[in-house]
Amino acid sequence: MTAPSNPTLRLQYRQLYQNSLRYSLLGTCLTHRPALWNQVRKSHTAITADPVPLRKQLKDEARRKKAEKKASPKSSKTLDPRLSRWELTVGLEIHAELNTACKLFSPAATSLNAEPNSHVALFDAAFPGTQPQFQKATLIPALRAALAFGCEVQRKSSWDRKHYFYQDQPNGYQITQYYEPFARGGTLTLTQLDGIETSDCPEVTVGIKQIQLEQDTAKTILQPPSTYLLDFNRVGTPLIEIITLPQIHSPTTASACVRKIQSLLRAVDACVVGMEMGGLRCDVNVSVRERGTTAEGLSEYAGVKGLGTRTEIKNLSSFKAVENAILAERDRQIAVLESGGEIEGETRGWTIGQTETVRLRGKEGEVDYRYMPDPDLGPLIIGQDLVDHLKDTLPMLPDETAERVVNEYGISAKDARTLISLDDGDRLEYTEAVVETVMQRLASLPEKQSFDKVGKVVADWVLHELGGLLTTAGVPWETQTVTPERLADIIVHLQTNQITGNTAKKLLAHYASLQPVAEAAIPSVSKIIDTSGLRLVPLTEGEYIEMAQKVMAENPDMVKAVREKGQKGKIMWFVGQMMRRGEEGRVEAEKARSYVERLLEV
Amino acid sequence: MFRMQCFHVLARSSTKSHRWFSSRPIDAEALLSKRTWSVRSLLPSTDTTPDSPQVSSEQLHHLLRLSALPPPKDPSEEARMLRTLSSQLHFVREIQAVDTTGVSPLRTLRDETTEGEQRNEIGLAELKDALCGEDAVGKHHKRVRRRRDQDGQKTAAETWHVLGSAEKLIGKYFVVEGGK
Repeated sequence: MTAPSNPTLRLQYRQLYQNSLRYSLLGTCLTHRPALWNQVRKSHTAITADPVPLRKQLKDEARRKKAEKKASPKSSKTLDPRLSRWELTVGLEIHAELNTACKLFSPAATSLNAEPNSHVALFDAAFPGTQPQFQKATLIPALRAALAFGCEVQRKSSWDRKHYFYQDQPNGYQITQYYEPFARGGTLTLTQLDGIETSDCPEVTVGIKQIQLEQDTAKTILQPPSTYLLDFNRVGTPLIEIITLPQIHSPTTASACVRKIQSLLRAVDACVVGMEMGGLRCDVNVSVRERGTTAEGLSEYAGVKGLGTRTEIKNLSSFKAVENAILAERDRQIAVLESGGEIEGETRGWTIGQTETVRLRGKEGEVDYRYMPDPDLGPLIIGQDLVDHLKDTLPMLPDETAERVVNEYGISAKDARTLISLDDGDRLEYTEAVVETVMQRLASLPEKQSFDKVGKVVADWVLHELGGLLTTAGVPWETQTVTPERLADIIVHLQTNQITGNTAKKLLAHYASLQPVAEAAIPSVSKIIDTSGLRLVPLTEGEYIEMAQKVMAENPDMVKAVREKGQKGKIMWFVGQMMRRGEEGRVEAEKARSYVERLLEV
Repeated sequence: MFRMQCFHVLARSSTKSHRWFSSRPIDAEALLSKRTWSVRSLLPSTDTTPDSPQVSSEQLHHLLRLSALPPPKDPSEEARMLRTLSSQLHFVREIQAVDTTGVSPLRTLRDETTEGEQRNEIGLAELKDALCGEDAVGKHHKRVRRRRDQDGQKTAAETWHVLGSAEKLIGKYFVVEGGK
């Protein structure tokens, strides 16, 4: 059975197969339904019934969804009653790959998807007798990350060995900074716009305990049943581990925190590979405690007192997984405690699609890492001049940028954040260039018009119009061909009423579809308008009155309703009819309304 | 501890002069002919019963597992291992008994002078080249971006035959058999 090409009918098919309740709701207004449904079941492809108007279809969908929501007992928005008794506490440990050319302790190059075992130095392969050589350039993104969180950079920090045997660790130990990390004591503030839980609003401040430098491990591919294939390209890649204080109290806020950390690291060019590509990994520590209890007898971590026993969840590979895993673990811990049990300090795992975390190892299987200072490496001594220089030249952080954009351009906070996050900030740069050009052109025109909405209009065009076109065509932003000047040209013509909105969209589509050629070969907006006769000629007063009188003559009862019954709302109906009849874009709603009001003597 | 011993030896030889180093020639052979200390003083004597806590069999097995060493083949080998471990621990306890207040532990042999520290400091001068490998991007929305056109090129450290010494390979991967 082939799906019909009519989108309205396709919508109908989906509904039919899902719910009989919906069937009965729709049955009253979609009288053709039984026949259609039977035809569908008999695999008839030729459907001859009239489709229902889309507007009605959408209204019914909305009504059905509302009814379902009221009927469903478990709503995610209502607060779980157990949370009034139990408080959740979460701490995050985030490992992020630094944006560097070479590895941390060898001059081999870092890589993402290179041929296996093609970027391995002798030290990375743990050949006996090889020594680590600290690569200084790796400090730049590391320091930028520390400064982005407002951490105190330690002048002296040291390297330690964390011993454990596993096939992805050729040396048998990982070089990390356990005793003396290079940065301590930062903060991260999250607001409602970052997506925190409503109970945490207006803002949440999460402390950063420390940031340390360490090595990454090899990539392993499991060939079932028990063969491991090893690619050492990733061994020794510099990572920073960001450890937050346990000051997060909801799964949504935890997920928002991870997202914000990723965006901050990207903004300062410290870590540019995202979570979906494996460049950022997250482990969480989850504990619950009863509200109103004193801190006595409870654990403490880095100065935060009164914590229950915590479990650690490893291998979280997406923002949603972080949220779901914490939710599942919180519920499990509450269930255990409420039934009188005790929480064991264990390590657990989570796979997407499961409903509960899975135990990986308990306290008896806890690894003894036997931390010891690495005798091959001297301390890391960071000069204050370097820290000062990086602080002075640190790129503006996303929150500050969003504030600037909102203040300068009148764009909404949500749109501002979208612009900043898209394409590494290139989309915002483009928008600002377009606004600058548009303002310049409009300023030089003889007629002065009010242009406070320019920023909003431009942002709308870049995000929705141009963005929509590129998404539909599957064109990435880096290769799109509409220059800022070209888009500014279109918008200027639109703002000065030389073309209609639809014409502007068509022009944009035309420019976006062009192959990249020399600028001179592309015709300008004015040229296209003139050659294709797209210039908008506004209606004269006489034309307005003539049209209004025509509409009124054809609908005397509507005229009566307004004049005699005083139904002023129907005035806009007249305006609507005029806009429908008139040539597209030539009828201006405001002007039409004033003429209609004048004629109706209202 | 050895550093402190040498210090005392030097001090003793120059009690008469005010400088650390005496101007008189030192008879090294005579000085070194008499034994002043032996490691045997730190080992337990065989006749005394050790009053310190013993290492249990479970602890021994746990340590061997952590160190990826093979477990003992029979009880007599295990008894031998436990005896050796016990005397080694006695030695360590003697070392730990030394008063180290005010002495920071030696982590690595390096230049600990202020000049040495200055030389090892990583400041702006050392990273000037690396900072040149970045671009300032954006006229309105100013950002920094590391240039990545040279990424993925083989450096001098990568030209050796990585897979050459592997016993077993599958394609370009090293292989580890995980099964018991």
